[in-house]
Amino acid sequence: MKIQKIIGESIYALGSNKLRTFFMTVGTIVGIAALTIVMAVGAGTEKKVMQRVENFGIRAIMVTAGGGKGFSPPQGGITTLKLEDADAIRNQIDGIEIVTPAAMKRNMSIKAGDSQIQASVFAGEPDWHDAWEWYAQDGDPIVTEDLATMARVCLLGTTAARDLFGEQSPVGEYVQIGPVRFLVKGVLERKDVSPMGTDFDNRLLIPLTTGLRRLFNQEHLSYIRVKVIDPDQATSVGAQIRQLLHGRHHITPPQEDDFAIVTASETAKAVKGISGTLNLLLTALSGLSLLVGGVVLMNILLIAVGERQKEIGLRRAIGATKKDIMRQFLAESLAVTLLGMVLGCGIGVGISQLLAQATEIPVLISWEPFVLAVVFALLVGTFFGVQPARKAAALNPVEALK
Amino acid sequence: MIELADIEKTYGQGDTATRVLKGISFRVEKGEYVAIMGASGTGKTTMMNVLGLLDKPTGGHYRLGDDDVVDLDDDALSHFRNRKIGFVFQQFHLLDRATAVKNVLLPLIYAADYPEDAEERAEHVLSEVGLSDRMRYKPNELSGGQQQRVAIARALITDPEMILADEPTGNLDRKSGIEILSIFKRLHRDGRTIIIITHDQAVAEHAQRVIVLRDGKIAEDRAVDQPHDPAEELRALADGEEDQ
Repeated sequence: MKIQKIIGESIYALGSNKLRTFFMTVGTIVGIAALTIVMAVGAGTEKKVMQRVENFGIRAIMVTAGGGKGFSPPQGGITTLKLEDADAIRNQIDGIEIVTPAAMKRNMSIKAGDSQIQASVFAGEPDWHDAWEWYAQDGDPIVTEDLATMARVCLLGTTAARDLFGEQSPVGEYVQIGPVRFLVKGVLERKDVSPMGTDFDNRLLIPLTTGLRRLFNQEHLSYIRVKVIDPDQATSVGAQIRQLLHGRHHITPPQEDDFAIVTASETAKAVKGISGTLNLLLTALSGLSLLVGGVVLMNILLIAVGERQKEIGLRRAIGATKKDIMRQFLAESLAVTLLGMVLGCGIGVGISQLLAQATEIPVLISWEPFVLAVVFALLVGTFFGVQPARKAAALNPVEALK
Repeated sequence: MIELADIEKTYGQGDTATRVLKGISFRVEKGEYVAIMGASGTGKTTMMNVLGLLDKPTGGHYRLGDDDVVDLDDDALSHFRNRKIGFVFQQFHLLDRATAVKNVLLPLIYAADYPEDAEERAEHVLSEVGLSDRMRYKPNELSGGQQQRVAIARALITDPEMILADEPTGNLDRKSGIEILSIFKRLHRDGRTIIIITHDQAVAEHAQRVIVLRDGKIAEDRAVDQPHDPAEELRALADGEEDQ
């Protein structure tokens, strides 16, 4: 086929002037690599956000003791969040399905026989299971009776269970939390590791009353988890809770809150908004570098057409039609951008993976950037190749041969 | 067979119009070896471009083989150049980075069908011009004479109606020039139609027939009684060198 031969000529021309080809390719490589990285990081961030939202619960509101924003953990020194606050929320605000108070301590040492681990201990009410949608996969959950009797019972997270008891079922065994002995009544479902690296399953759950009176010896809560009926209402319910707690805690803004309220949808929106804007900006920047690459490519090709006038004249003399010349130069430009695309994708994936390994930046490689890269490469190659190709084809063979 | 009738070529229009060819008529039979001669400014280059279908005449008729080629469009002219004309240029015009074989194959790329035995053909025409041992050399590894022989092989590969050579010896030393002319002589003996455009009487006298252009017209169209023999000239050249 003639067209194959002509493309062959293009490849040959590129191969025989490697430095020029490199300069023509480099813009596309940088542009496509940048695009691949930006999209991989964008997709990774999005996935991470969605994961966090899912873990958090889309209908959830967290009221945490202590100020601050986002997912900051409860501050130990704050003692103002009380059971009465939870009751008030439950009684005074509409649109709420569950309000469940809880207290927690990190890094408590837990012993069973010879094994000892460090784990977080959560003290909650029976509602805790429904509020977190986190149930016992083995044995029994926390029940109302446990609260009333301040029962010394606990549920283990799967990591804690494995570290303390190996593959054996821990149900019916005893663990020592600080000075107190607890009967293991169940094992919590496995929740896996958070995107931040926290192991959700390295924890113990005990009844709230037991926790407050027998173990932590405190009156205050660490947090109150609220589950609203309608996820769209989460933000307004959050605002109502804030107002209620302002009154109860005698806080008048701009005085600083002694609690933080976080809703899933707000957080997701905030994170997505920031990363979305940044992502758009970065995509635009890599698009720009692709554009600059295209202009460089066009210029080098235009210069090449000038330099290769005699060659073009000769080809015309020995029988190349205008179309043949046009095709040859267009094929050169397309070959350059497609080569740039392949190398750019490779480099982009490589750097993305390095980023994923060396930094905290989340990365998700998907097929979309590759499709986009092919489309961009073809567009840039055609758009910036047409002008030089036209110029080459329009050369008068008699003039060109002089 | 090539036939030109009343070929006119005028550049520009109105007062600034320049008539370069003023009614040229001649006929070249198949297998003829013709030199078109003229000093610069006599329309020699224009004659070459018209004959080579690189430029269109503004008047007259031009038959190449069985076809009238005056009114063809650009694409058709390209195809005719590809099939019917084998160009040999003063400056060789080889692709620098391609081997001899690759250079010779170039016209076949633009042919309607790329022959399966293209490589063999290229090797065959290269051996015809005495370059069987230089097939994979690039132009910068070849002497000027050898480069011009690659160009002749390139002209032969499509088995054209005529070889059209524009000052083929102009860039060569005397010895290489004569060697090129001896190749033309052999091609002529094999039945090829050859037209050489030259300003050089010594070159023109190798042909069977000389057409002299003067001021855009044919001033002379004569048979050469005793065409110069390149073999003899080479011998004389060798003797002369020995004498010195």
